Amino acid sequence: MNGNRRRPTNSIEVNLLAICLVAVFFFGLAGLFFVYLKNQQHAVGDQARMIEFAIREVEAKNDALKARITAMTSRGALQRRIDEGYIRLEPIRDTAIARVTPPLPAEPDGVLRTAARDPDSRFGAVAPLRAVSR
Amino acid sequence: MKHTGTRIGVICALLAVVFTLFAWRLIELQVAQHDYFSLKAAEKHSIRITIPAHRGRILDRNGEELAVNIPVRTVTADGTHIRNPAALAALAAPFLDLPVKELAEKLSTQRQYVVIRKEVSEEKAQDMIRAMEKAGQRGLYLEESAVRSYPNGEMLCHVLGFADHSGHGIDGIEKSFDKELSGQDGYRLIEHDRKGREIVVYRGQEQAATDGSDIRLTIDMGLQAILEKEVDDAYKSYHPESASAILEDPNTGEILAMACRPNFDPNHFNDAKPDQMRNRIITDMYEPGSTFKIVVASAALNEKIVDEHSRIFCENGHFSYGGKVIKDHHGNGDLSVSEILMKSSNIGSAKMALRMGDQSYYDYVRRFGFGEKSGIPLQGEISGLVNPPHRWDQLTKTRMAFGQSVAVTPIQVVMAMSAVANGGKLMKPRLVLSMGEGNRVEEIPPVREVVSKKSANFVAAALQRVVSDQGTAPLAHIDGYPVAGKTGTAQKVGSHGCYMDGHFIVSFAGFFPVDSPRLTGLVIVNDARLGSEANYGGLVAAPVFARIGAKAARYLDMQPSSDGALAQMANSSTSQAEAKIR
Repeated sequence: MNGNRRRPTNSIEVNLLAICLVAVFFFGLAGLFFVYLKNQQHAVGDQARMIEFAIREVEAKNDALKARITAMTSRGALQRRIDEGYIRLEPIRDTAIARVTPPLPAEPDGVLRTAARDPDSRFGAVAPLRAVSR
Repeated sequence: MKHTGTRIGVICALLAVVFTLFAWRLIELQVAQHDYFSLKAAEKHSIRITIPAHRGRILDRNGEELAVNIPVRTVTADGTHIRNPAALAALAAPFLDLPVKELAEKLSTQRQYVVIRKEVSEEKAQDMIRAMEKAGQRGLYLEESAVRSYPNGEMLCHVLGFADHSGHGIDGIEKSFDKELSGQDGYRLIEHDRKGREIVVYRGQEQAATDGSDIRLTIDMGLQAILEKEVDDAYKSYHPESASAILEDPNTGEILAMACRPNFDPNHFNDAKPDQMRNRIITDMYEPGSTFKIVVASAALNEKIVDEHSRIFCENGHFSYGGKVIKDHHGNGDLSVSEILMKSSNIGSAKMALRMGDQSYYDYVRRFGFGEKSGIPLQGEISGLVNPPHRWDQLTKTRMAFGQSVAVTPIQVVMAMSAVANGGKLMKPRLVLSMGEGNRVEEIPPVREVVSKKSANFVAAALQRVVSDQGTAPLAHIDGYPVAGKTGTAQKVGSHGCYMDGHFIVSFAGFFPVDSPRLTGLVIVNDARLGSEANYGGLVAAPVFARIGAKAARYLDMQPSSDGALAQMANSSTSQAEAKIR
């Protein structure tokens, strides 16, 4: 009669259970985090798509406007404006020319030299001021 | 037991072989052919969209835009996304400039891709999409596209050419440099959601587009505008069949301006007739007439057959040779080489040619670039017609000396004149200054030395006398700048190979300033509606050249030479000149 009187029971391995629960919790958490990140990724993707769309739209508008400016300032368009009298070309008188480089002195032949072109001047290679030789 | 062990061994071995095969196949699929199968898989559920490359611009040498792109949209429909075609048509039709009924019919489809309208402006397309969003409609989508625009319209049309609606060059620079201008389209593999929107997370392979290179031409639009105006005026004044002019830098071969009439607007190339689209400077050949005398004079001098002191008897204007008579406009006795050019003596030129060997003379004609393409980077250039000596008859050599029995293109004439201007070097015409950002094209060396510097300088000095009161082209004179040049008046050859009475091609080819040439020019007026007594190169083409030259000199801020200034004063009245000196 020395037998174990305790009813046979299945013992619960608390430690193991805890580990499993923690593992499941972390797996669950990781899963939720994965879903959250995936949703975030989609949201960011949508934002990126919209921004790309907006950039393309702005670029296209910019290109369209640049093309319009080019067309409006083309030689043909300006000539039409001149013909219509909307703008007028006025010859620049010698007295109205501010020379950025000293003119060559008038020579005995009486020819008034044009302003020397200075490639280092701030106007670059094409000087906007011109004197007419007389 | 032994049998059992053997059986197990065999089964294990078979299993090992089978699994090895499976593993091998798996490695082959996953590793060896990974790229192939991933692409196949992507194709199954992905859509490949094209990222269009922007076509490069065409600029002049100062950066002025000559050909640009205007962004437009192609409107497409996905029939499976459209719930109410009639309502969508009523909404979108005003933006697409289409009748509602016609649009509704197009939208009543189950096809997933239908092109509704091309070349819709950016503003209208965006307005349409916003209106659709507001009304909760879907099914119409936009694709990026662009149309080519030429802001200067007809100006420089023959050089620029044009591109078709698909963006491919058809003519001119657009055609010659189509590959460089086009760039390379890119692509992206994408996936759509239920609403047809891209799911960015599942973006697949992507290849960025490579935009086309900008091309900077040697053309100076300031000079081009001058040239166009003068050619236009000549075309309107003389009502010729055609008129052409070209300006070139004789030292580098750079083409600075080029214009032909009739012309066309490349923005509306569908309306142009073939005759308007021909760049006559490279596609038309003609008998050059007296401008060709520079060849025989240079050749004879270079071969030392004549020198500056030689005098040639010009038969008082009538020279019988080979059963035919060669005539001069005015009868002359003994003339020097310089005087032959100045007075444009056919007999003197023919006699110089006769003193040369056939092959030697032919070689000089070819060395000046006649009978071969100049190499200008434009489509449709022809090489002209120079027959070799074995095809000559008794008269050919004498006729060639004054520009008959030979057919040349205007570009060949201007390059030959430049060879005289620059000291004897034949240059290759250059039209492109650079491609892309800062990629300056290498300078092109001379094709060959045609004649010695001494010979070229002598001919240049003789050509300066042509533009004097004693010469044939006093009207080519430009105040302040010494000009050298040669007139040409050639009877037109009809379709039956006979000369046409009263129909002439008149021209003037020249350069200035003579001492340090900066511009070579050629003006050709083909069959001006003028009487024979007024239809001469010196009377029609030379004044056009002078006007172009005078304006170009001012535009380029060229310093007038003292010789030119004195000549200018000599032309004005004595009292005016005295007043100026005082």
